[in-house]
Amino acid sequence: MIYGLFFILSVTIFQRQPIFAEDAGKLLPTAIKEIRPASTAVSLEKWVKSANEHHGKLSVAGMQHSQGGHTYYPGATMIDMKSYNRILDYKPDERLITVQSGVTWEQIQRKINPDGLALRVTQSQAIFTVGGSLSANIHGRDIRFGSIYNTVQSLRLLTPTGQIIVVSRTKNPEWLPNVIGGYSLYGIILDVTLKLTSDELYQIETKEMSAEKYPAYFAEQVLRDDAVRMHMARISVAPDTFFNEMYVINYRLAENQLLLDKHRELHHERIIALPKALLGFSRYSEKGKELFWQIQKDYMLNKGGDYITRNNVMRSESEFMEYEQAGRTEVLSELFIPVSKFTVFVRDLKAILRKEQFNLLNITIRYVEKDEQATLSYAKEDMFALVLLINQGTGQHEIMETREVVQKMIDAALVHGGSYYLPYYPYASKEQLRKAYPNIDEFFKQKQTIDPNEVFVNLFYKEYK
Amino acid sequence: MDYHRFLRAQSIMISAGSVVFPFYLLFIRNVGESFSQFGWAYGLFTLMSACSFPFIGRMADAVGERNLLLLYTWGMALVMLLIPIAGGIWAIYAIQILMGFLGAVQKTAEKSALSRQAYEKRHTDIGKSIGHYHLWTSVWSAAAIIVTGYLIDFLTIGSIFYLASFMYAYAGITLAGRAKQLAD
Ligand SMILES: Cc1cc2nc3c(=O)[nH]c(=O)nc-3n(C[C@H](O)[C@H](O)[C@H](O)COP(=O)(O)OP(=O)(O)OC[C@H]3O[C@@H](n4cnc5c(N)ncnc54)[C@H](O)[C@@H]3O)c2cc1C
Repeated sequence: MIYGLFFILSVTIFQRQPIFAEDAGKLLPTAIKEIRPASTAVSLEKWVKSANEHHGKLSVAGMQHSQGGHTYYPGATMIDMKSYNRILDYKPDERLITVQSGVTWEQIQRKINPDGLALRVTQSQAIFTVGGSLSANIHGRDIRFGSIYNTVQSLRLLTPTGQIIVVSRTKNPEWLPNVIGGYSLYGIILDVTLKLTSDELYQIETKEMSAEKYPAYFAEQVLRDDAVRMHMARISVAPDTFFNEMYVINYRLAENQLLLDKHRELHHERIIALPKALLGFSRYSEKGKELFWQIQKDYMLNKGGDYITRNNVMRSESEFMEYEQAGRTEVLSELFIPVSKFTVFVRDLKAILRKEQFNLLNITIRYVEKDEQATLSYAKEDMFALVLLINQGTGQHEIMETREVVQKMIDAALVHGGSYYLPYYPYASKEQLRKAYPNIDEFFKQKQTIDPNEVFVNLFYKEYK
Repeated sequence: MDYHRFLRAQSIMISAGSVVFPFYLLFIRNVGESFSQFGWAYGLFTLMSACSFPFIGRMADAVGERNLLLLYTWGMALVMLLIPIAGGIWAIYAIQILMGFLGAVQKTAEKSALSRQAYEKRHTDIGKSIGHYHLWTSVWSAAAIIVTGYLIDFLTIGSIFYLASFMYAYAGITLAGRAKQLAD
């Protein structure tokens, strides 16, 4: 009897408990109202209309690899787009594919790879959703197709007031700059038609060099050479070669494309014990960082001459980076710096970081071409993008410590006309945001006119609006 | 106490423990923020056990193992109801202290029941009967762990704790003797 009473009491309290949402950053667990998996455009439309009528708040989530609470909001309903993931139409001859926005790059690759087609612009990995990627206006290793903005033929948008509209360069074009790179504040991307390209066979080209030589090398040997289609580089964070040593990886069109068939098969994620262990060491000691850098560098340099397809370059491994440790997390931070300012910027960064206790594990460098189509564009000029992988504690104090260092680095980028990337933890001050994204106030202002009830919200909006 | 009933109740309790244990670990890890908190949570459990052993030992002689096991099963059934609604590290500490005490109750009762059994029956093959006891309790707990592996796809973490609570309650009913009539 008494047990029965306690049981009912427990279940009742349990059901009233808030649901917590958390993204890849793990620094912003937030109590939300509920999670609703998306199924059809009609039901989504109903939810949005009803939220408008009943003062509801909505947020939109893909794979939640963003790290600043871009996918949730306190007390709001989180719409989970992962289940909205059908490939709707595929025209290999016209090189077009239409997908629901919860589809991942990986899903598209599996569909188009057999036909010798590939995506134009993606991140370095294929684990993200199309909707999340467009909303962050992502970039990756491709250096020839410009921004992801250019790869969108058209899309269907569910606006904040519940209308479904087609958006393209000819229909409702004024929406496009705010939807792409708009972090769902301008509504839900329902489905997207993307332009594809041919899958190609590349030969890997690697080279070691000092940081000073990199900009000239990039301009002459990479950008000017049309055969180099994709590119990335790394700069050392190991104590002995800190910010001096670099290596680059070029993906050069192979002379014999007939070999493509032999390499066509999509790579699968392997459990790689060695990089995982090395990355593990590098978290804890300077020696570990040294070892990680040396071995990773030798391994990469050794890959020179290997063949790889475009599709496979776009699906590199990520599992070995996964990190589970109570009270600690690994976050990314990304800075953009005009190509011509790279050398001075690296010198500044080195000076800042030498003085700080800051557990920096890796820096990857990629290139983004000038593109100001999106309202929140980060590429005011041709830029190098430096992605920093940071290991830190989840406590308030540790967040404050990281904030201080990241803000210094952002300041250094801003001084040289650079900017920083928005999908990560909101370490930047409001002032820094306004400097890096001069259109931000306009973006928020227009948002208020198209979303008068502020139905679409997230922590990024809460923090900065 | 009838040995078979004792064995059955023990098997159910130990199975319940095996079902929740991995999820309980996950749960504490999610609530705790650092290894030191994790350390405290476990330390408190063990410390509480240590402090209660002398007292419980005396209680075993005074009230008998059956009553101790009743205390344990119903106690655990209630604790399992607390876990899904516990938030924050202090709630975890409190639960660990309760479970530390109950754990000591179970250990004492189990051992004294086994040795009393041996003593009363003047067993010459004590080792054999302990082997028999552990064999069956372990078989049941293995089965429970394997089944949980399948169930977890269908149950939420919350319902795993409720399931375990039912199992402890059922073990309690078995011990109380009413289960016998129900089964017959
Ligand atoms: C390990 C790692 C590596 C990364 N590498 C790169 C990289 O190489 N290049 C790069 O540019 N970025 C990179 N990122 C950042 C990543 O591309 C963005 O965070 C991207 O938004 C993640 O996609 P997602 O599916 O996880 O989206 P989510 O994180 O779920 O969502 C991101 C934003 O998109 C919105 N959104 C999601 N779906 C929709 C939709 N259907 N309609 C409207 N809005 C929607 C969300 O509300 C949110 O504001 C990386 C992140 C991680 C964690």
